[in-house]
Amino acid sequence: MLLGIDVGGTFTDAVVVADKQILTQAKVPTNHGDVLQSILAALDKVLLDGVAQSVQRVVISSTIVTNALTENKIEPVFLAVMTGPGMNVKGKFPVKPYFVSGYVDHRGKITAQIDWTKHRDLLAAKGNGVCAASGKFAVRQPQNEYLLEHELRKCGYTKVFLGSELSGELNFVRRTNSAYFAAAVYKVFDKFCQKVKLAMANRCITAPIHILKADGGTLPLDVALEQPVEAVFTGPAASVLGIEALAAPKVNSISLDVGGTTTDIAFWEKGLPLMAKRGASINGYPTAVRAFHMRSIGIGGDSRITKLADSYQVGPEREGAAAAIGGSVATLSDALIVAGYVCFGDERKAWQAIAQLGGEPAVEARKIVASAVAQITATIKEMLAEWAKQPVYTVDDVIRGTEFEPDQLIGVGGGSLGLVRAVGEAMNLPVEIPQGAMVANAIGAALARPTLSAGLRADTTDGYYIIPESGKRERLPSGFSQRVAEKLLADWLRKQAVDWQLPDQEVELISCEHFRTIHSYYDTGDIFNLRMQLKPGILHKISGREVEL
Amino acid sequence: MKNTLGLVFFPAFDWMISPTHPERQERLLYTRDQLEEEGLFDCEEIKEYRPRLAQINDLQRAHVGVPGIARLITPAHLASAGGCLTAADAVMRKEVKRAFALVRPPGHHAMRVVHGIRGFCTVNIEAIMVEYLRSRYGVRKIAVIDTDVHHGDGSQDVFYHDPNTLYISFHQDGRTLYPGTGFPEEAGSPGAWGTNINLPLLPGTGDEGLHRLYDGLISHILEDFQPELIINSAGQDNHFSDPLASMAVTAQGYARLADKLQADIAVLEGGYSVESALPYVNTGIILAMAGMDYSKVLEPDMSELRKQDPRCNKRVDQLIEQVGDLYFNRERTRKELLQKCNGVWQRKKHIYYDEEGIREQQVETVRYCKSCGGYFTIQTAAEDTRFGDQSAFIVCLPRDICPSCRQRAYDEALREKKTGRWQYVFVQQIVDGFIETI
Repeated sequence: MLLGIDVGGTFTDAVVVADKQILTQAKVPTNHGDVLQSILAALDKVLLDGVAQSVQRVVISSTIVTNALTENKIEPVFLAVMTGPGMNVKGKFPVKPYFVSGYVDHRGKITAQIDWTKHRDLLAAKGNGVCAASGKFAVRQPQNEYLLEHELRKCGYTKVFLGSELSGELNFVRRTNSAYFAAAVYKVFDKFCQKVKLAMANRCITAPIHILKADGGTLPLDVALEQPVEAVFTGPAASVLGIEALAAPKVNSISLDVGGTTTDIAFWEKGLPLMAKRGASINGYPTAVRAFHMRSIGIGGDSRITKLADSYQVGPEREGAAAAIGGSVATLSDALIVAGYVCFGDERKAWQAIAQLGGEPAVEARKIVASAVAQITATIKEMLAEWAKQPVYTVDDVIRGTEFEPDQLIGVGGGSLGLVRAVGEAMNLPVEIPQGAMVANAIGAALARPTLSAGLRADTTDGYYIIPESGKRERLPSGFSQRVAEKLLADWLRKQAVDWQLPDQEVELISCEHFRTIHSYYDTGDIFNLRMQLKPGILHKISGREVEL
Repeated sequence: MKNTLGLVFFPAFDWMISPTHPERQERLLYTRDQLEEEGLFDCEEIKEYRPRLAQINDLQRAHVGVPGIARLITPAHLASAGGCLTAADAVMRKEVKRAFALVRPPGHHAMRVVHGIRGFCTVNIEAIMVEYLRSRYGVRKIAVIDTDVHHGDGSQDVFYHDPNTLYISFHQDGRTLYPGTGFPEEAGSPGAWGTNINLPLLPGTGDEGLHRLYDGLISHILEDFQPELIINSAGQDNHFSDPLASMAVTAQGYARLADKLQADIAVLEGGYSVESALPYVNTGIILAMAGMDYSKVLEPDMSELRKQDPRCNKRVDQLIEQVGDLYFNRERTRKELLQKCNGVWQRKKHIYYDEEGIREQQVETVRYCKSCGGYFTIQTAAEDTRFGDQSAFIVCLPRDICPSCRQRAYDEALREKKTGRWQYVFVQQIVDGFIETI
């Protein structure tokens, strides 16, 4: 029995899934002042008598981190960076950093040790609370970062977030921002986790509690506390997973999750949602937080309609319920009814509301729909263009191309039916609307699989390999080859999965680069860059039918 | 324009000449790592582009391959030439202010006629881009500044008869380095005299000498020529750590030069200190072109850098005087040379393809005309190509050719065909890259 809870902008949903079926589901209004209260209210509604003990896992998709960041309810963070020579980082981080000497080059060689005589002020300072530290190329050689962490702890900082621990991939600025935001939300998130644990214990739920991440994976609460920033933007992630559970598109698809206010757009290939190649941006700062390649736009069923000279603007504000179901003013849903894309509620009232805008209602409704469709297709086009511009490193990639060509649209969410049909018409694509999408996000959360990925870089000239996610640099075993590298990395991932109490999952190779290194026309060794992951996705599909609320 | 630099980064990780060759997969690996780690691709001043594949016709505006260019190249060449065209489009469509095609394989040793690979190059990616800019966007006056340590003899060859392309190359003196050419006297054929500028520098010349030369001469020539576009053949082997050459320029020296030059489009050429130079030089050039602060870009290890010998500046000063005279008197010299040659100018060339051991003999003939720029022909015979010994007679028709010259050119091609001396007789239409086999 799996329990999923999704805190959304309007509603908080909860669902219990058993035997690949929805057992119970619930919807309660979200209380933004007290997110935990909403979670518990929804939880208590689905938790039928005697069910608590049979729950195997709880996954919470919560807005707690997102809200803390957008509402700026975050802790002040001391940020120490080791940039060495390179780009000027002024303005690249949310706070002014303290610059520490020391440098590691691209091969992972320490070219400058930290010169502590330059940092007497830092060593003498009294720190408290959380701080973040990050060094360029620390993912190739973390020693300087560790030394810095050691000194910061001596200064009195109780929690130090390191860039190299938040991401094993290259991009110093993103890792640094990840470390900063992790530190900034740590206390809020920690408090939330304590309360959740207590509340679950009170309800006799002993199953592991996981938190959903932006990349659609889950982490146990205690592990998530080491990287709290990963719990940002989980709403769209839950939506994507929900679609996967309900529809699992086999052909290249574009999904549109149409809510009352917004539409989330995501791309699908071979049954899996596409991930953004670089991380998510938080408050305008790029981070290493992995996320889906998706966009949200301010168009939904309840969108406000504003008359312009010869056309209409749809959204981004929400007007309220459609006139057809008791609202007072025409919304996009009313236009969809009048234009014949969908029928629900009182059709007459929809016509009356559209007529209030002046002109022939059928003509005006078509114009309104056309405007909404144009905005959505323009966004899709931008996303297609963005995807097509992904970096290419090989001739093979240039020839094959990485353009994404959609074969169908998938619509989920309350307002999806009519709008997605209209978009499908405009894009000349077939439309699929999977059954039972009322609590898709909570289902997505319930069925999310833990995600875990890691890299291994081996430089045989150097004689060492490093798995940045582990922070350990080890001597290469004799007889080293790519096969050995894959085994080392897979073993580490499996061990990490056991440590984190994650279910047994297949390990897959995501990317692999191999270069021979040459000096003066002689072979000096090999460089291997591998990335592997636990196979992402959902635990299993769900058979459509919903239960009565 | 919010984005000021368009960056086409294409390291061709699956292309090499041979496993231990300087042009191998590893070449831009550390550059990729550095750019990624710095976070350059996230800067709003930098917009990323992926290369497209160039068409054969794009290549044939600049080249005539024997037996055909398509049989001499690999797909990597279409991608690197295509990367340059992508950069050109981004600038010409005003999507970005400048662009940098950080691509391989390189091209500046590839001449108009191609029998194989020479100096790591098969097709000349800058020349292809220049001809594309003219055909597609009608750009006329273009300056190409070649900052590679080797003389760009291929670019010189393609632009030699074109007074609208100012080609400036500074490089390590040809008496001490491949390809052994690039002296001031090679200043263009009579109709284009003075638009081919060679500045051979003494080994050991560093930032000081380089900027002395730029400030004292190159900047003045550029100001006088008034190009519509400036292109930088951004070779990076003048770096003090380059294993194939002996100069002493630093990443700062290169970045400051890029800043002064403010090229509209830069194209990567050579540079084989893949670990100690390229990551830093490329970072510096990108920042400078994007209008960002590059002052903090320094090589972590400068121990190999030697102080510049006083003789280097002396050579620079000589060049400033000698080549300055040559350039600023070019109109007068041109008239004299044209008068002297009486409508026909000819030169013989011996070309060596170091990669493949091909020896080629060429006779190039330019025929001038009163109403247009005339046309030129190339007789070529090459030994030991991968297709055996081969010969061709080639007629090249410039864009502005007049109907009577066109007629004369075709007549000449037909006459040569009849002699039976040539395996191939080709007519190259520079305007659209169409090559006719007669």
